[in-house]
Amino acid sequence: MIQLYHIWKQYQKPHWALADVSLEINSGDFCFITGPSGSGKTTLLKIIFRELFPTEGQVVIDGVNILKIPDHKIYRLRRTMGIVFQDFRLLFHQSVFENVAIPLRIIGLPYKEIRRRVFQALRQVNLHHKMWEYPQRLSYGEQQRVAIARAIVNNPSLLLADEPTGNLDPELAFEIMTIFKEINKQGATVIIGSHDRELIRHFGDKIFFLQKGKIIGKEEKK
Amino acid sequence: MRLRQLGYLARAAGSNLWNFRGRNLVSILIIGFSFLIIGIFLSLSNNLTYLGEQLSNNLAISFFLNRSLKSEDLDRIKQEILNSGLNLEIKLVSSEEALQRFKNNFPELQDIISSLNTNPFPPALEVRFKERAISLQALTAFMDRIKRVPGVEDVQFNQEWVEKMDSLSRIVRAIGLFLGTILILASFFIISNVVRLNVFARKNEIEILRLVGATNTFIRLPFLIEGFVLGFLGSLLSLGILFLLMKLFPLYVGSSLGAARQLFELRPLTGEQMGWLVAGGIITGTLGSVTSVSRFLRV
Repeated sequence: MIQLYHIWKQYQKPHWALADVSLEINSGDFCFITGPSGSGKTTLLKIIFRELFPTEGQVVIDGVNILKIPDHKIYRLRRTMGIVFQDFRLLFHQSVFENVAIPLRIIGLPYKEIRRRVFQALRQVNLHHKMWEYPQRLSYGEQQRVAIARAIVNNPSLLLADEPTGNLDPELAFEIMTIFKEINKQGATVIIGSHDRELIRHFGDKIFFLQKGKIIGKEEKK
Repeated sequence: MRLRQLGYLARAAGSNLWNFRGRNLVSILIIGFSFLIIGIFLSLSNNLTYLGEQLSNNLAISFFLNRSLKSEDLDRIKQEILNSGLNLEIKLVSSEEALQRFKNNFPELQDIISSLNTNPFPPALEVRFKERAISLQALTAFMDRIKRVPGVEDVQFNQEWVEKMDSLSRIVRAIGLFLGTILILASFFIISNVVRLNVFARKNEIEILRLVGATNTFIRLPFLIEGFVLGFLGSLLSLGILFLLMKLFPLYVGSSLGAARQLFELRPLTGEQMGWLVAGGIITGTLGSVTSVSRFLRV
């Protein structure tokens, strides 16, 4: 369970990027954080995976206040998460296989196991036939799917995605969202920052509406 | 950290060295150039040390003796010299021997000598020092004491010249220390900035590794390996160029210096000096990496 208590975040005075945001997301939820550009979606996601510290407030994940984890131990938290960035953040001088394998290399799995898991993750995003290609030879949608494969390869309990369909056409966006839904069905909590109303209406189980850094509404499908 | 992780990181470092070979070559050249300057200085300083040693090896003092000296008096003077505590050897040069030496060294002046009825050369005790470095103060004290021994008439020793060499070598050592310190600091600064550029160019990669749960050690290690290799190759390059300079210098530059050439000759580095130079390169490369990569490891 993810609990955010009275989160305030200020980059520059006098504007608040987040103002008194409190929310609760249960394990296994498929949840959207939505709002116009500049409403604070990315800031909120960055605080959840502790790339940013809030100016005030507390973040508790599965009973642990992640803001109190010392810097040199934060890698333990990150290994339980998968993160998909809007700009993909792929290494273009490494093959698709090497890109997806990074989280597994870090934990020191044997090569055979790495190969098996990378293949599995790539098959899940339907890209296993391009395992040895280099990212620059792939289309935008394919690059996004490589980034998703990298995020799910270590079976994370929490998957965070920031505008994962921002640069994709509606058909591809729908396909990507279906992949996220699949991952969610396998047990992972999924939190997506997006402003695509069509997708949110179709896929969202729990939706938080942000505006000017404040939660202005919440919707939950029964 | 597991062995297979180390293997992976070493391979990653190798592939980064190759993938960014242009930039890495520049780093190697800069490290090589910095350490080449240090190497040249060391080599020149070796030469001066060598010349100084040669000088003190040939350092001799002649105590001219009274012609009518008895053998027991001679023994007394010898004993007095040996009692000085300095590591030296004594040779008695008789009047005849001195005359013969003069004839051999200056054959064109033989006529003048022949025109004299007597042998103008007094017998002398030649003292040569076995120690490589004797302070000028010790030498002066020694000479003053022996000069006062009865039977010793005069002393021949070019004190002014020795004093000049002594102060020259002190100045060279001081300049060397000053230049060496500045060069090492400058090369560290240059290398650390080149590595910083390398790190900056790969900040995207560092960022990704941080966010997928890599430890700081895991992120740092390939950069350390790369810094180590760049430092090692750079210092090897400096040794290679220094070797070439030693071979070429006498041919192209040395000939124009005339007699002063001896002072500027490049003398090979000792094994220990080469070891320090390579170690210096490795330390500079590795430290440059550590300081540069640490900036990007904020969580």
